[in-house]
Amino acid sequence: MHDLLEVKDISKTFKAKAGDVTAVDNVNLSARKGEVTVIVGPSGSGKTTLLYLIGSLEEPDEGGIEVFGEDICLSGADLIQFRRKRVGFVFQFFNLITALTALENVTLPMDLADGSSRGQHERAVELLARMGIDGRLQKAKANKMSGGEKQRVAIARALANDPDIILADEPTGNLDTATGKVVVDILVELARRDGKCVIIVTHDESILEAADWAYHMQDGRLEGIDIKEGSSP
Amino acid sequence: MRSINRGLRSFRRHPLRNLVVVLLLFVCLTFSLSMLAVKLAADSQVEEVKQSVGNYAEIRVSSDYQMAVFEEELSQEESERAAQARTMSDEEMLEQMTRFLVPEDLADLFSQQSEIVTYDKVLETRISLDDIENTQMETMVSMRERGPQGEAPTALSSSSFTFEGNTDGSSVSDFMLGNKVLVEGSFYAYQDYLDANPVVLMEKTLAEENELEVGDTVTAKISGESGRDADVELTIVGIYESVEAEQQAEGSNTETFNPMGDTFYAPLSVVQELNSTPGYVELGSYYFDSVDSTGALQQAFDAEIADGDTYELATDYSDYEAIADPLLKVGKTSMIGLAGALGACALIILLAMAIIIGGRTRELGVLKAIGATDRQVIAQYAVEVVCICLVAIVLATGVTALISQSVGDWLLSGNQAAETTDTGEEGMVAGGPSQFMGGPMGGGSNLYKEGGRFSVASSEDQSASLDVVYQGSMLLYGILILLGISLLGMVVPLIWITRLRPARVLSME
Repeated sequence: MHDLLEVKDISKTFKAKAGDVTAVDNVNLSARKGEVTVIVGPSGSGKTTLLYLIGSLEEPDEGGIEVFGEDICLSGADLIQFRRKRVGFVFQFFNLITALTALENVTLPMDLADGSSRGQHERAVELLARMGIDGRLQKAKANKMSGGEKQRVAIARALANDPDIILADEPTGNLDTATGKVVVDILVELARRDGKCVIIVTHDESILEAADWAYHMQDGRLEGIDIKEGSSP
Repeated sequence: MRSINRGLRSFRRHPLRNLVVVLLLFVCLTFSLSMLAVKLAADSQVEEVKQSVGNYAEIRVSSDYQMAVFEEELSQEESERAAQARTMSDEEMLEQMTRFLVPEDLADLFSQQSEIVTYDKVLETRISLDDIENTQMETMVSMRERGPQGEAPTALSSSSFTFEGNTDGSSVSDFMLGNKVLVEGSFYAYQDYLDANPVVLMEKTLAEENELEVGDTVTAKISGESGRDADVELTIVGIYESVEAEQQAEGSNTETFNPMGDTFYAPLSVVQELNSTPGYVELGSYYFDSVDSTGALQQAFDAEIADGDTYELATDYSDYEAIADPLLKVGKTSMIGLAGALGACALIILLAMAIIIGGRTRELGVLKAIGATDRQVIAQYAVEVVCICLVAIVLATGVTALISQSVGDWLLSGNQAAETTDTGEEGMVAGGPSQFMGGPMGGGSNLYKEGGRFSVASSEDQSASLDVVYQGSMLLYGILILLGISLLGMVVPLIWITRLRPARVLSME
């Protein structure tokens, strides 16, 4: 299995009144298709920034990111296409559009990416059903749903355009333990069954159990964690 | 197209918020459109007024020139003047008689100006008619006008009559203004003027007293060449009645004499012959296209006709000002109101969009994070803005149609009230007071207003109300306002969206 995603020597510094803050400091990372990569670390360690750099929501100051050997530090239309087709985001606060129904939230990325509406509805229904959101719940407004339901809708939305990479930022951060486990199981299944490259950043070390590869992040620096005997990141 | 659908859906999803914005906009837009409708109506009405009131001028001998001649004559002894008169040749006599008249060719020349729409020429004189008598003349002559022994002035004797000549009987100002009405026969025509046909219009009471009717003749005595008298037979072609006399007769004082009852109307060329002043008129009377042309006509007059200070072009703005001033003030007031209301609309839409966008920052970030382009997001918000503005303007247009007339009336009544209290001296006549002019210039009117083919509405009729009607241009202005505030409303999303970085928004809890 060849590497799908390769992060090479990327750094990101933010300017602040108190002085420059290096959120990501010369990080190297590889993530493979069909595997779950988990990055743990305390709040403010730079995990989310790293995730946004991988998802092209932030631009690195240095270094590069390659997907299938292709540099994805893009701009303009290519950047938009990358966001639409190659990555799917799952956020801690779900970030669903509350005025829309579950179905509409899932249809939205397809709607933005493709002018044709053919098959969008069916795919959205199918994805939601797979996440356990059935029937009337699909037509419920996002703000009427529980946290677990919202997160499952968010995962369905992330899968809408069938991306290669799923980036999950604290996906269990707003959920109880049981619901969090369900969400993690879904993400693991996406990697195992659908062959997605799943990257989860979290401060919840229990998720490490689901990881194929694990990293610890502290002050913008990334270090590999040896979670299975005989394997190394 | 998909962005439009998303925008429409989004518009429907926030009914309460949109209702508040729509209501605020609706109030300001209703005010704006009402002001606009009133402004358009006022402007349109002022243009109409310009073409029908105050667009009148007369060429006549200037009052300065008349004063100068009077003073020169007064400086001479009476015996000296009498001696001069006895030794005058025919040419000198004609010159003496026409010194306060305007050469007809000058009046014709001025009519060639492109701004002139219709024109006429007028001459008035007193002529003796031996075979008829005005039995009521005595009552007309006031004590003030009588001599020391109570005798009436010779010019107002019972066999002396006013003859007024112009080129077409139907365009005599008294008939046009409705002061007099033809009750029998017909008017003399322009051809009668060209052919110098000896025909006249006679007053009804005078005709009845002298047992005359249409087709009969009266004999005028005129001074022929070399001082010999000659008789001219004048055929009565029409008999008129004075409306004023009728109204007076209805009152208690039945003895009141119709002051215009002794007037005969005849073709100008006939009156010129009777007055022995062929080729001269008392005034040239002109209606022109618009009050706005007054300056151009004055310039043309000064360049071609004025002959120093001998002649003057008299105009009268008083009616125009009386009618147009309140309308112009209404126009100005409504313009200020329009500007203020549009400013309020702009403020409302900017604030509303700032609040709407501010409250949906996370949504914007999510949209951009999942692959929406700036154009898609802007289009979505643009549709929302247009929908809000469209609903507001449709409602405002409907309500404006209902209330704009009342708004116009209210503004007009306010300005008319102010006008009444502010009005100082009424009217203006270029070249000085008209009391030096005899004949047609007498009476209360500044100008004779002869010869127009216009329906001369009174100021009261024209200024009574402002007719606010929905014109085609209102729709155009409505669309322009809609576009304007919509574009303005889009400025906020445009700036916000293009500057928004999704990573920042999504990091916020």
